[in-house]
Amino acid sequence: MAEIAFHNVTKRYGDMVAVDNASFTVADNEFFCFFGPPLSGKSTILRLILGLEKPDAGEILIDGKVVNAVSPAQRNIAMVFQNLALFPHMSAADNIRFPLIERNEAPAIIEARLKDAAEKLHIVHILHKMPGQLSGGERQRVAIARALVRDPAAYLMDDPISALDARLREETRVELKRIQREAGRTLIYVTHDQEEAMSVADRMAILEHGVIRQVGAPVEIYDNPATTYVARFLGSPTMNILPVQRVGEGYEAASGALRIQSQTVVGAAELGLRPEDLRVQPFAGKGSPATVAEVEPLGGYTVVTLTAGDVSLRAMVRGQPDLRVGVQVTLSCDPAKVIYFGASGTTLTRMRGVAQ
Amino acid sequence: MKDDGAKLGFRLTLPAQVLVLFISVFPLLMQLYISLTDWSPLAGTSWTQAWAMWNTFANYTDLIYDQRLWSALGRTALVIGVCVPVEFLLGLGLATLFMDDFPGKRAAYSILIMPMMVVPAVAGYMFFMLFQSGGPINDILSNLIGHPITVAWLSDPNLALLAVMVADIWQWTPLMFLILLAGLAGVPEDQIKAATLLGAGPVQRFVTIVLPRMKTIIGIALAIRVIECFKIFDTLFIMTGGGPGVATETISVYIYKIATQDLIWGYVAAIALAILIVLSIACVWALKRMART
Amino acid sequence: MSTIHLQNLVKHFGPFTALKTMDLTIADGEFVALLGPSGCGKSTTMNMIAGMERPSEGRILFDGRDMAGVPMGRRGVGFVFQNYAIFTHLTVRQNLAYGLRATRRPVDEVNRRVSAMADLLQLTTMLDRPSAGLSVNILQRVAIGRSAVMEPSIFLLDEPLSNVDAAFRTVMRTELKALQRQFRQTMVYVTHDQLEAMTMADRIAVMDHGVLQQVGTPLEIYNDPANLFVARFIGSPGMNLLQGQPVETATGLALDLGPLGQTPPLSEPQVAALRQAQADVVYGFRPELVALVPEGQGMAMPITFVERIGARTILHLGQGSASAKVVLENDAGLQTGQVLHFAPLPHAIRLFEAASGIALKGA
Repeated sequence: MAEIAFHNVTKRYGDMVAVDNASFTVADNEFFCFFGPPLSGKSTILRLILGLEKPDAGEILIDGKVVNAVSPAQRNIAMVFQNLALFPHMSAADNIRFPLIERNEAPAIIEARLKDAAEKLHIVHILHKMPGQLSGGERQRVAIARALVRDPAAYLMDDPISALDARLREETRVELKRIQREAGRTLIYVTHDQEEAMSVADRMAILEHGVIRQVGAPVEIYDNPATTYVARFLGSPTMNILPVQRVGEGYEAASGALRIQSQTVVGAAELGLRPEDLRVQPFAGKGSPATVAEVEPLGGYTVVTLTAGDVSLRAMVRGQPDLRVGVQVTLSCDPAKVIYFGASGTTLTRMRGVAQ
Repeated sequence: MKDDGAKLGFRLTLPAQVLVLFISVFPLLMQLYISLTDWSPLAGTSWTQAWAMWNTFANYTDLIYDQRLWSALGRTALVIGVCVPVEFLLGLGLATLFMDDFPGKRAAYSILIMPMMVVPAVAGYMFFMLFQSGGPINDILSNLIGHPITVAWLSDPNLALLAVMVADIWQWTPLMFLILLAGLAGVPEDQIKAATLLGAGPVQRFVTIVLPRMKTIIGIALAIRVIECFKIFDTLFIMTGGGPGVATETISVYIYKIATQDLIWGYVAAIALAILIVLSIACVWALKRMART
Repeated sequence: MSTIHLQNLVKHFGPFTALKTMDLTIADGEFVALLGPSGCGKSTTMNMIAGMERPSEGRILFDGRDMAGVPMGRRGVGFVFQNYAIFTHLTVRQNLAYGLRATRRPVDEVNRRVSAMADLLQLTTMLDRPSAGLSVNILQRVAIGRSAVMEPSIFLLDEPLSNVDAAFRTVMRTELKALQRQFRQTMVYVTHDQLEAMTMADRIAVMDHGVLQQVGTPLEIYNDPANLFVARFIGSPGMNLLQGQPVETATGLALDLGPLGQTPPLSEPQVAALRQAQADVVYGFRPELVALVPEGQGMAMPITFVERIGARTILHLGQGSASAKVVLENDAGLQTGQVLHFAPLPHAIRLFEAASGIALKGA
């Protein structure tokens, strides 16, 4: 069992609070992602887990035991660095053996673990090569093997693929997910790329200035964000968040261009609607239109920027529709997809209302 | 955890700390002690008995009125004032040249470094020979100018100091060159490109980008050279012995003379300590200014 | 006026040829992206336009004027470096004013233009701060402002958003585009991110290993890739490219994709193109341009991985060399292990010659 938990952990650097009363649990064998903008505390949390920093308050638990006072060497957490830090003068196999040799493990165990890790990561055929002779992806797998061979409780990765080309990132993140499944270990992963986080994580934690705003499966957080901050953070293009007014039996936003029935939700200050849920149709004369301000054709879908009154919205339309700048359109949506936010920015319950 | 590391570090380096303390602080204390007395090895007693010849601060007041001391300091200042800027500008010019590639760069580099490797005393003897009235320098000058030159460099009170300066510049420009080359290499190339693209000419680039970024290195180079130049001795002494007369008597030469010829070690200790204090203050001030940038 | 003509550009670095031959015309006021993976020659091309490198062969013309011999300080181009190259020993204001001061503009003009640019880029509150230590997002704005304030007619940007975090990247893309529209500059933008190029560029020049692969508007390149490289590189994810052998079926000529089964029957123009090619072909279709079909029709592949990314779901089908991807809406409710029955939309199928990689016309 390799469960990692934080109970009310706080870490300060002078006046600045890097981690503010954070509590979460990472289950065994989970691919857990910390996600947030720069300086939101993600790397600090990693360092706290590793033991490179001591919390100012709260407890850190590994396998149910409090490890605040345990040194990094004893904690059995492995780290894969962004620059991999492979020893250039040793072969891949020697690199992988290194942590075990340091610990004076028996040679038989070392070879067994090496074989096991190499098989899991499909690098058996390159074990004899030097890091300089390996491709980027191969080097990454050797680095992961080196981390896993210690049989750690969990391994950590801090933004490992952000330096790669966009295309390579897309392919590598699928690889990493596959590796984690096959290796069968808890992986704690930090990134600031929301697509990456959504793709790889079993569960994720969204951070804002050191505070954990929401924890859950990516799909969960995407469909039901807890606050406007979280809602804006996941999803590209960003969720449309508009001020609303109560009108009759429902709400109205964007100077009337968007009208939604809602009998159950009271006191909403803003609504959120994802661009892919915003439907756009040519203006037929009824209701208030919105105007197309910009059309970004991206091939498989098109991002349309619309203005209605003094508000700007974006819609993500499938394919390559014939929409031109200046054209007037009618907006609509499935009321079940709308999220209502209170004045403080937190979500009120999602509406289960009547379709328009 | 951090505290443990620091504590252990302190304990491990304790023997070295004690040693350094002994080597640096003890002699200073001894020097201070002697400087407050009239002691001289001619006195017949061991230095431990020097307290018997206590003269409180008489040595220090003496040195304030010592004309010869102040002349020596003046000459030293003159040497510094000429040599260091010349070495700096020459070094900077050479370093700038070496930023680009040119054929024979490696060879030129090795040749340029050589003067620094020469033992200062040997350099002194070398220049002694070069500056003789019938020597190579006069020969070359004669050929350049057209008619014979037989200047007696080292015997002319007006020219001897100049000869010494030439020797110093020859020997220490390479050091400036090396330090400034490292400094120049540390200026990010991208920024220079960006400045060029924005329309800045080579001089503008140098003044607005290169020099400001080299402030620390320039400060270090100048500080090192000024301190070393202040102490100039070996080369000079072998070339001129401090002469003719006192024409090339810099502070080190003066101290050497009164220490070895007049043997008034109490006074010498006072001078040395006074210089140490003044230089230390200057150093700290210079470092503080550099740290601020 | 500021058109750029690149004629037969070649660049060698010793034995290594970074750019094999490049012919490109960029119209006045156009936003062109040089797109390709690392090492494709895009930065080299841009450095030559700026004058930082000299072409080994070929010419670069600005408005018909040959730029050979014009040093980089005199070309009147703005350049934003990948790592910004901000003068970190100067304040933000001094950075912005640098070019104007270097060209000796009068003081009040300098102040006026710097203030206007700072307003535009929301840097007004930072103007008198030292630029060292500022966040990457702000430095990026300063880098752009520093060049933009000179009002160059040509603006070159070398992967300016690669160091910036993902969320800010989308914000900056919009700002850069708006900036370009406002000032009507000819903008050349180097990137390896095809989505970025698609979002921002009027036209995209796709490059690989020093060779220009295709030039066109984002939609042109997306809809009609000229070869396998472009087909695979553009789109997230890229086009599915499956090798197949022609096989006669009851309903017409189709392609046998080996372990992935058979394609639906090809259309007449496709069959004609196939016969003309007389070689092995690659069957291409975009992951998002498919329709689900009942069992027995179309193609059937096992789902090996489900990637749910916000608005879309990417289904990974098959394994290794016999794999494909399909992008669907989120409500599809499909799981790993199930078999997906689908068919590419007829108008979305593209055929390529396997050996050369070139797209078959008319298919």
